[in-house]
Amino acid sequence: MFYKLPSFEYFKARSVGEALELAGKIGDYRFLAGGTDLLVDLKIGRYKPRAILDIGGLRELSYIINDGSRVRIGALTRLEDILRSSVVRERLPLLHEAVYHMASWQIRSVATIGGNIGNASPAADTAPPLLVHDAIVKTRSVRGERAVRLEEFIQGPRRTLLEPGEMIVEFEVPASPGLEEYWAYRKFGRRSAFTLSVVGLAVGAEFLEGSPVFKVSLNSVAPKPVRARSVEEYLKGKTLTDSVIETASKIVQQDISPITDVRATAEYRRHLATVLLKDALKEIAGRLRR
Amino acid sequence: MALEDPFSILEKYLSAEEYVVVGREFTRVDALDKALGRALFTEDYFIRYLQGNALFIKQVLSPHPHALIKAIHVDEAMGVAGVKAVVTHRDIPGVNQVGYALPDQPLLAERKVRYVGEVVALVAAESWEKAVEASQLVKVDYEPLPYVLDPLEAMSRTDILVHDEAGSNIAFKTRVRKGDVEKGFAEADVVVENEYRTHHQDHVYLETEAALAIPDSEGRITIIGAAQHPHLARDIAARVLGVPAGRVKVVVPYLGGGFGGKDDEGPLTISKAALVAYLTGRPAFIVYSREESIRIHPKREATIIRYKSGARRDGKLTAIDVTIIHDTGAYANRAPFILWRATMHASGPYEVPNARVDGYAVYTNKVYQGSFRGFGNPSIQFAVERQMDQLAEKLGLDPVEFRLMNILRPGSRTLTNQELDHSVGVGEALKKVAERSNWISKRREFDAFNKAEKRFKKGIGVGVAWHGISTSRGVPDWSNAVLKVEKDGSVVVFTGIVEMGQGSPTSSHVQIVSEILGVPPEMVRVVFGTSDAPDTGATHASRGTGIGGIGVEVAAGKIRERLARLAGDLLGVEPDKLVFREGRVYPRDNPERYIRWVDLVREAYARGVELSATGYFFLPKGKFDDTTGQGFAYPAFSYIVVVSEVEVDTETGVVRVTRVWPALASGRIISPLQVEGQVEGAVAQGLGYTLFEKLVFDERGGIVNADLTDYVIPTALDMPVVEKPIYVEDVYKYGALGAKGVGEMALIPLPASIANAVSHALGVNVTRLPLTPEYILQLEGVLRR
Repeated sequence: MFYKLPSFEYFKARSVGEALELAGKIGDYRFLAGGTDLLVDLKIGRYKPRAILDIGGLRELSYIINDGSRVRIGALTRLEDILRSSVVRERLPLLHEAVYHMASWQIRSVATIGGNIGNASPAADTAPPLLVHDAIVKTRSVRGERAVRLEEFIQGPRRTLLEPGEMIVEFEVPASPGLEEYWAYRKFGRRSAFTLSVVGLAVGAEFLEGSPVFKVSLNSVAPKPVRARSVEEYLKGKTLTDSVIETASKIVQQDISPITDVRATAEYRRHLATVLLKDALKEIAGRLRR
Repeated sequence: MALEDPFSILEKYLSAEEYVVVGREFTRVDALDKALGRALFTEDYFIRYLQGNALFIKQVLSPHPHALIKAIHVDEAMGVAGVKAVVTHRDIPGVNQVGYALPDQPLLAERKVRYVGEVVALVAAESWEKAVEASQLVKVDYEPLPYVLDPLEAMSRTDILVHDEAGSNIAFKTRVRKGDVEKGFAEADVVVENEYRTHHQDHVYLETEAALAIPDSEGRITIIGAAQHPHLARDIAARVLGVPAGRVKVVVPYLGGGFGGKDDEGPLTISKAALVAYLTGRPAFIVYSREESIRIHPKREATIIRYKSGARRDGKLTAIDVTIIHDTGAYANRAPFILWRATMHASGPYEVPNARVDGYAVYTNKVYQGSFRGFGNPSIQFAVERQMDQLAEKLGLDPVEFRLMNILRPGSRTLTNQELDHSVGVGEALKKVAERSNWISKRREFDAFNKAEKRFKKGIGVGVAWHGISTSRGVPDWSNAVLKVEKDGSVVVFTGIVEMGQGSPTSSHVQIVSEILGVPPEMVRVVFGTSDAPDTGATHASRGTGIGGIGVEVAAGKIRERLARLAGDLLGVEPDKLVFREGRVYPRDNPERYIRWVDLVREAYARGVELSATGYFFLPKGKFDDTTGQGFAYPAFSYIVVVSEVEVDTETGVVRVTRVWPALASGRIISPLQVEGQVEGAVAQGLGYTLFEKLVFDERGGIVNADLTDYVIPTALDMPVVEKPIYVEDVYKYGALGAKGVGEMALIPLPASIANAVSHALGVNVTRLPLTPEYILQLEGVLRR
């Protein structure tokens, strides 16, 4: 209440078309979806836009569609809706699990998945599951639509490939029987709930001609949420024996570049990344043996 | 009049045969209003009744840890439309001095600033937006000075002085000299020596600091505000305004938590609002944002404690040698009292024949030290109880067994050589909780578990604590209340005790009146937190019921004596044979021959029996010698034992507290439900302190995590199972119905018991708080220190 919001012009879009038109016209703006990140950022002066473009009410971008080989999630779908979705629970259990551990009911009820990704925080908790799923970010502007791989879309802290006049409209999330069954998620925070990730980790296995292909992603250990490509490469064609898991969980060090901040030291984040990955791989190995 | 003597009243109800309201389940008066969100807190009065009329106050804070103030320019800020005042030290009509223990602290910085976050000016405007805007336009010319942040460095330097006039950065010293310490250590078969470190904790009360000042006629001013002692807040505000105390009235509505923080900051908050209202003639409202609250208000101090103790092979302690250093920060505030308490509790609740204790409160250029649940005691009990575990281990004794060999009992002499003649139930509490928690078998069971299991380790630890009741030494302490019986038989009580969640005025005080006068609780109303009541002292030091309730008991007791005489006349019975119960007064042997309470009251009004009374009681105290630290320290001690069970993940370093067993020896339990609430709340707050709450300072002494994103407090999911407390009702003769005090208790030994449990689980020596995963991994040797 007592940090003063900077003054700005306020526009409320009634349709995606109108939003894009306004965005093209205004130039210096920030989108307001759920506002759970934006309002804090405005108050602390991270952003000082001339205008706020409120797209929070656009129901047309709030949906979860089970679309055969993929699940399509509208950019303005609220986290609480994702958490309650049986489609997400069954087909994208990693995402369900990650959202389950996010924030509080109050915040999940306004925060959107588009906001979580668009904000491009290194600690974005929806990112590791979406990265494991090789999610595609669909964007739209008056010039047309684009589809960008999430891994490229987030460039760094608070930086994305989103261009002026462009908005995220959808996440296209490839689903697979493997990831429905063989997954493990870990979120490590400073307390048991309502906490920011010190390290977050999503691991899943897909099957290529009967043998598992492992996919690993982490957040809060690099300038942006990352895929652990070295680990994935190492695990190719291997069975998850104890020694393989041991080695893989050490190799993750090559995929991360954590910093020291008030939440944890870089050294501890590195240690945790290895411990959590080992745990997660053991969990998956257990499921694979069944 | 001897019948109305407070001592005889206290004695009479201490030894009552039975209680019908006291000690029973009781729904506190404010339960429904709070559950439904109808209860009014300070900010509610502003929002509901004065928003739009009252000026909004925004504080201008120092960005420097230490700097001279060369000039303050207010013109630009005053130029903002809607700004009515920019108040600096120059505008204070009275005295710009608010230090409680030492006269070292201005309300608004004068000549220099001493910490990042110190308040330099107040900006008052018609809206908070304008106040915030203008606050950024107040320009202060600072000349930065070298600063000290580390208390050890500050102690040894005189070239940088936080307070030049003090000539040293040591704000206050304490000492105890008992027996012959060298001889004691010569007699010892085992000696343990460690340096302990504890950290700053913020109170994080749900409601931040707030006050609403309203100018009245005849030059009076009324302030509705968040404080823990309305009379003290009034006195300080009056001093700042330069007016007689009688012109200022302070009303403390429901508080969203105090924990000591509002005992320190409350009077300052109230003075700021009063100052603006006084200077502008307008109602004025101040509320701290969370970030301001964390930056500005005093904290639980960081400490360095060097502790050496020795014991004989037969299990008896022989000597302790302790140095306590408190990081006092920029102002003494209550540091001398906090340090004093830590010093006089430095033995723990044990018999120690030889002791040397030295305490230092050290100024640094950081946010300053203040009152916080436990008041210097949790850190020293942490050190004591870690020492006790290590001595037991060296002696090959069970930790509980070793403690019982040294525990205080009736007739024991304390660290200050004070004889305890009664109300010392700590040994019994320790025995009972050890039994209830299956201490001996769990220690063995966990040892076996830890041998077999690699990753997760289990531990069980005990913490025993004592806490002196009332003010220290001969410092005057009293209780009081005004009680009136209205013509319709309803009872109104006025007390200065506040309701900050603990429930004294809304449960125990009501129960005391209901018990003594035999009227249903619905007929009793306690008007609390007002400076119009007689000064009842602060609601701190666990005294809201134990001492605050004495005034209520004595006033009710006086009225009962008068009505018993009247009823005795009417019924033809000896007054002391009468029973007052459920709205009737009757002879003990003939309940059918009764007079109704309401009729008795009517008769009293008709026959000239006064039905208003004060319950003044001045606590008897003894002598204390400050040069040796020997003598009468406190009228009595409240005791608690906490056994904690933990599970440690040796790979992540996470400590999970799974179960806590509390046992209280705190005199009479008047409101069991409220006591359980206090114990659970203290466990939550103590758990946060022990595991992860910690203020982090940058290289200039500014707080890095001044928000609830990065200052992490526990959630419900972090809570252990808290077992129902064991009560040893070791009643104290000068407590309300024998009560001593509960509010702070469970927090005091909790860090020690968790640290002991973790040390047991891992076989390591915990010497620091908080027990963050990183510290645990350092103890294990997995991460570098």
